[in-house]
Amino acid sequence: MSSPALVRHPEDSMPATAIAEAGSAPAATPPALPASFGTLALRWYRLNRAGLRATAIGIISLLAFLLVWHLLTTYRVVFFVRFTNVPSPLAVYSSFTKAMHDPKFLMHILLSCRRIFIGFSLAAMIGVPLGLIMGRFKLVHEVVFPVAEVLRPIPAIAWVPMAIMLWPTNEQSIVFITFLGSFFPILVNTLHGMSLVDPVLVRAAQCLGARERSIFREVYFPASMPHIFTGLTVGMGVAWVSLIAAEMISGQYGIGYFTWEAYSLVQYADIALGMIAIGVLGLGSSLLIRGAGQLVMPWRSR
Amino acid sequence: MNEIAAKAPQGHIEVKSFSLAYETIEGPVQAVTDTQIHVRPGEFVSIVGPSGCGKSTLLNAVAGFLKPTTGIVTVDGERVNGPSAERGMVFQQYSLFPWKTVRENVEFGLKMRGMSRSQRERAARTLLGLAGLEAFEKHYPEKLSGGMKQRVGIVRALATGPKVLLLDEPFGALDAQTRVIMQQILTNMWQRLKISVLFVTHDIDEAIFLSDRVYCMTARPGSIKAEIPIPLERPRQQSMMMSSEFLALRRGLMSLIREESLKAMGGEINDMGMQGLNIELHGHSLADVI
Repeated sequence: MSSPALVRHPEDSMPATAIAEAGSAPAATPPALPASFGTLALRWYRLNRAGLRATAIGIISLLAFLLVWHLLTTYRVVFFVRFTNVPSPLAVYSSFTKAMHDPKFLMHILLSCRRIFIGFSLAAMIGVPLGLIMGRFKLVHEVVFPVAEVLRPIPAIAWVPMAIMLWPTNEQSIVFITFLGSFFPILVNTLHGMSLVDPVLVRAAQCLGARERSIFREVYFPASMPHIFTGLTVGMGVAWVSLIAAEMISGQYGIGYFTWEAYSLVQYADIALGMIAIGVLGLGSSLLIRGAGQLVMPWRSR
Repeated sequence: MNEIAAKAPQGHIEVKSFSLAYETIEGPVQAVTDTQIHVRPGEFVSIVGPSGCGKSTLLNAVAGFLKPTTGIVTVDGERVNGPSAERGMVFQQYSLFPWKTVRENVEFGLKMRGMSRSQRERAARTLLGLAGLEAFEKHYPEKLSGGMKQRVGIVRALATGPKVLLLDEPFGALDAQTRVIMQQILTNMWQRLKISVLFVTHDIDEAIFLSDRVYCMTARPGSIKAEIPIPLERPRQQSMMMSSEFLALRRGLMSLIREESLKAMGGEINDMGMQGLNIELHGHSLADVI
């Protein structure tokens, strides 16, 4: 019995080897001459040129935004929109340095973060499993889906009066509203991910002896993971929107309350400070989720 | 004698008075009618036929994904009631789990069987080595070429030691050169493992080159039009594709299929169309040019 087939054919394996090498660090390619620091830096620059360019333009764009803001406020421009009372970037910066030494400001931020953490975690812990189960079991889908579809379009802010009636404390109703805001995007995206699972993969698993539970764990769950993370990212954004609205209406403490209170107390610089803090916190939590996604789905990062 | 009987290879597929119909709003549509096929233990059997003739339907019924409307499918006398690891399957659309590395994909069936981590790791490494893939065990499928993906697919299906291997146009998406290499790899593994193979393809050269026997199906509703034994000696070489024996088999099969393809197209074809079809069929496989 000869075995000509096991001789690896260059046509077939060559391109893949090339791909494999492209993935590793340039210094690891054996035939390359020992590269000096200069050539390495040059190579790094060439490979990352697009990213560097984006970063540079991003920084310039942010600086331009600050400059325009500065000019509009120092000259108190009135052109349809009135910048007369809008604080300048420098005023906001000075109130920022003051706030950094103010334990009350930090407490506002910490409280908001805590509400987001609890509300969002609950939404994820209920929304993801519910979506997975609804995607797999028709009956659960048929029972839950109509209710979800009716409740989904109601904005979280519209829930404020109801939440105050439902929950004994203000804190609980704010967390509840944060939960509601993130729950539906998480649920809907998980469901969407489940509906897109490639049936061939399910059949392949069945042919390899997988039973219902294993198929759920090994196929449906990882296959919907990208959509679950889309849901978590969107859900996190809506959680912040809902939280700030709830804090402005019924809060004591919290960054939304801080912003609204600054308006009542005519501390205009603090309004902008509160807004920027919300922006930065929202951005930071999105980045956290994206990072978690890359950790959990190594097959999607390149 | 006794020893041979004890070692009798398994994997005897039998499909008897098989038919399968789909329910539609206009009533049932017959996909396959009145079909009998069998695969003897260790035999390599192909099914060819015009597209839409129900050859994949038949294969899916053997795999256990589809229930026959009438008739029965058995493997070693046991009725097929659903998919199982006894019948390994390779799909045209690679079907590797994108979230698992090459080795984890191969290990999947063993994991389902409850084999310990270290044992299945060793088994997967050995199998990947046989297919020349050991260097890629930690890669995710996305980074592999089509031919490599399908090699992993075959190795994965074989890892659990199935009685039969079912392949549904596994090389249909590959370029001609890769396809030829894959055919040799498959023959080689089949000869080593002495496993029964049922292979669905629309590529006549591929069917003849690989098989002990070829079933040719009619246009929809599909049934067996002819059963052609392939007496070419083994191991088969690429050069055999130029032999007069091979070409005679090819001519015979080609005319059978052409008849059915024309039927499938509903007789709308005039002389011009006939010529066009001819060219298409002859140019179908580049393998005979090599």
